[in-house]
Amino acid sequence: MTTAGTTVAGGLRRWLEQERVFRWLPFIPVQGLFALLLLPNFLLLVYLSLLSWRITRGTWWNAAFTGLDAFQRAVEDERFLWALARTFGFAAAAVPLELLLGFGLALLCRQNFRGRRFYTTVFLLPMMIVPAVVGYDLSMLLIDQGPFNQVLSLLAGRTITVRWLSEYTPAQLAVIGADVWQWTALTFLIFTSGLAGLPEDPIRAARVMGASRWQIFWHVELPLLKPVIAIAVILRSMEALKIFDYPMLLTQAGPGNATETVAVYLWRVGWEFARVSDAAAMSLVLLVAVAMYSLVAIRVLRRERRRLAEEGVA
Amino acid sequence: MASIRIERLTKVFGATRAVDGIDLAIPDGEFVVLVGPSGCGKTTTLNMIAGLDTPTSGDIWIGDARVTDWEPGERNLGMVFQSLALFPHMTVFDNIAFPLRIKRAAPEAIAARVRAVSDTVHVGHLLDKRPATLSGGEAQRVALARTLIVQPSVFLMDEPLSSLDAKLRVEMRTELKRLHAALRSTFVYVTHDQAEAMTMADRIVVMHQGRIQQVGRPLEVYSDPVNRFVAGFFGVPAMNFVEGELRPEPEGARFVAQALRVTLPGYRGGSAPAVLGVRPEHVRLADGRESWPATVSLVEPLGDETLVFLDYGGPSSLVAKVDAEEKVAVGDRRSLTFRLDRVVLFDGKTGGRIPG
Amino acid sequence: MRHGRRALFPLVRHALLLAWTAVTLFPIYWMVMTSFKHAGEWVTWPPRWFPHEPTLVNYVKILTPGTSTFELGRQTLKILKPIGDSLIVSGVGSLLAVALGSALAYSWARFGTGGRNYPYNILSIRMVPPIVIAVPFVVYFVTLRLLDTYTGLILVYVATCLPYVIWMMLAFVEEVPVELERAARLMGASRLRVLRSVVLPLTASGLVVTFLFVFILNWSELLLAITLTNTEVSTLPITLNKFQSANEGRDYGPQAAIGTLATLPVVVMGFLIQKHLLRGFSFGLLRK
Repeated sequence: MTTAGTTVAGGLRRWLEQERVFRWLPFIPVQGLFALLLLPNFLLLVYLSLLSWRITRGTWWNAAFTGLDAFQRAVEDERFLWALARTFGFAAAAVPLELLLGFGLALLCRQNFRGRRFYTTVFLLPMMIVPAVVGYDLSMLLIDQGPFNQVLSLLAGRTITVRWLSEYTPAQLAVIGADVWQWTALTFLIFTSGLAGLPEDPIRAARVMGASRWQIFWHVELPLLKPVIAIAVILRSMEALKIFDYPMLLTQAGPGNATETVAVYLWRVGWEFARVSDAAAMSLVLLVAVAMYSLVAIRVLRRERRRLAEEGVA
Repeated sequence: MASIRIERLTKVFGATRAVDGIDLAIPDGEFVVLVGPSGCGKTTTLNMIAGLDTPTSGDIWIGDARVTDWEPGERNLGMVFQSLALFPHMTVFDNIAFPLRIKRAAPEAIAARVRAVSDTVHVGHLLDKRPATLSGGEAQRVALARTLIVQPSVFLMDEPLSSLDAKLRVEMRTELKRLHAALRSTFVYVTHDQAEAMTMADRIVVMHQGRIQQVGRPLEVYSDPVNRFVAGFFGVPAMNFVEGELRPEPEGARFVAQALRVTLPGYRGGSAPAVLGVRPEHVRLADGRESWPATVSLVEPLGDETLVFLDYGGPSSLVAKVDAEEKVAVGDRRSLTFRLDRVVLFDGKTGGRIPG
Repeated sequence: MRHGRRALFPLVRHALLLAWTAVTLFPIYWMVMTSFKHAGEWVTWPPRWFPHEPTLVNYVKILTPGTSTFELGRQTLKILKPIGDSLIVSGVGSLLAVALGSALAYSWARFGTGGRNYPYNILSIRMVPPIVIAVPFVVYFVTLRLLDTYTGLILVYVATCLPYVIWMMLAFVEEVPVELERAARLMGASRLRVLRSVVLPLTASGLVVTFLFVFILNWSELLLAITLTNTEVSTLPITLNKFQSANEGRDYGPQAAIGTLATLPVVVMGFLIQKHLLRGFSFGLLRK
């Protein structure tokens, strides 16, 4: 120990040294940040939803208190419900595709073959690109007389002009496609690491026992990959529900409302229509929907983590 | 018939020759131990017999069949891995049943066999547990049961006991020997532990740097080593080595080192650098036909015997293994002598045994 | 037998992998190519896969000082300020988040601060769609006069990426054996000293990876950025989004140049952290 003794700095250091001070040191600013930022925010959200306020009509603390009116309007708002359904629909379409593609690619790249490095590097590129850029980029590719239609025409042998940005279903496919294009890279990354982390010996034991490649995959490898699959599903579905950038840049939520995800719609309600209370109420409804989903997801995550700790590597 | 024959087996990894053209014939029913330090090629050889690694060249025969190109599953082998390789997500029952399940045997037949085999190795009471909850010894037995259930003609074992504590290891050694006696199948066992090799093997195959150094019964390998490496590998404490020179004399030869002069009748050949090898149990603290003075520098009582380290004027001490009753103290001046019929000589340059 | 079917497999594999490679590279290629095309070549039929007259004019246009405008049906995009703003907001935000988050991760890993479930609770923050907090945030910030300020956006970014920082650093901190720290303390080192001399060097690569990861995250963020800023602060994604709803006068070339420039540093960073990404990303579930 130093002889800092009676100096202020020394006293401060010694005070810091105590475990009960040391451990709480980072906790306080972080919790403080959350408390100052997120908590009042949430309370404000709840309060706003109980008002009937438009930005154009004065300040919020003077606005009329109307209780659950905004919620009623929200639940009856067809456009909102459609946006919700659409959002979950997009996620339900995109995430399984990303999982399958990522898993398939990871399996193909499993062995050490020539060119593997090249492929893995390329496959990881999309997830590092700014999503807004992806949205813009695809909007350029998918114009009626654009290169994508040209490629399609080449492959099909006849002229194909899908109006990706101006027709209902193609636009939705475009948004889903953008998500899949960008985030298959992430599932690929997760599965590659998962496959690499599989213990070798149980697989070799199964080979010696005469199990076929498929039997080994189904009975040994897949069960051992459960935690990895759980991460991939949880991570991707969490993010997929928030889709905002692609609809905004690709299709401007068009044509009509074809690609209006709930994030985009709420943004419009709040900013373009200035119906802040309604936006607040709908946000809460969305939050409840997402929260239920997240709670299940976190529980699964915790269970898999515990199971891995128990199983260890036998 | 489950004899094994290996012909000119070679495995090359990049620039390393892990296994360098070895030949070996293992008769049906023998318990053979491949032993050697890490990297000697024993595990690679085992993996090639199993079919998990493909040989760079050479052939492997199991019984009458040339299995070199066969898949591991086609060779009817049982294999126990160092890590045991139990399926962590399955119960003990499912682990043991797995080999039969992939062959699509009937569930009732499977259940009956599993119970029979698990009783044989005394794990019948563990069938519902998961591998992570088993003790080291229990997990061992489950791994064994899993190999027994298909009644293979050959058992391969890759250091199966190295993860167990010392006491358990000794117990399992005996169990494995009993199993071998009961089944009379061929066992190929890989270990780096010379004591395991000595106690378990019908024959020992000593490997070093990808080549077979010596094949023989345990006592042969112990008392009649073919080179310095084999001699130094077996025996605890290791054989004493003294570097010196062999000089021809009318009656045979004389080995000369710093303070030692040993007359060795029966040795022929000219003058050459040589290494004298003598095991601690063959070093006596007594006067003999030829003896030399030495000072006791360290005494290690083991209970049943005592190790005495002697400074005789050479670069390192000689170790003698003496009876526990012998009264020795550090600093004592004693005479040491060798049992000349047990002394071995090695060529100073090649390490090869000089016969005589 | 081993042979037969095995010979065909490599061909099939390469075919499939090449197919996805084409899918992956196609948009990137097109954007980079477009950035070097002058206006006449942007929308042609058939589309030009390689600019007949490559030019740097798009890059010059966006990098000259000025503000983005939309006049007379033509867009003019400028990114000098947006690049700076993005750098400030993402850089400072990520640094703060990493500093606070790693300290907290360490505190939880070693002392259990915050309770056994703290990391899971933190993660639930990430589950909230940003739009939900965006609405009240505007009101809140207006009241606090933090709207359209660097401070405001930075604080929000710190709060939103902290969960990731904590989870990733947790994985890296748990890789440091506790015995090392105990040994150092027995030798008389203070806790701070242990942090500095033992923990920091061993988690250095983890810190870099985490920082780069959340930097990419913040750099790419759009929704909160356009919500909480107006004229003072303007990040790159905002610039891309501007005028996007216009149906004419789309400035494809400069937009492509912006896209390329916005993506380049991030891709480079991504390469650097590729290998290490998985260690931090495992949420404690990947076997070592």
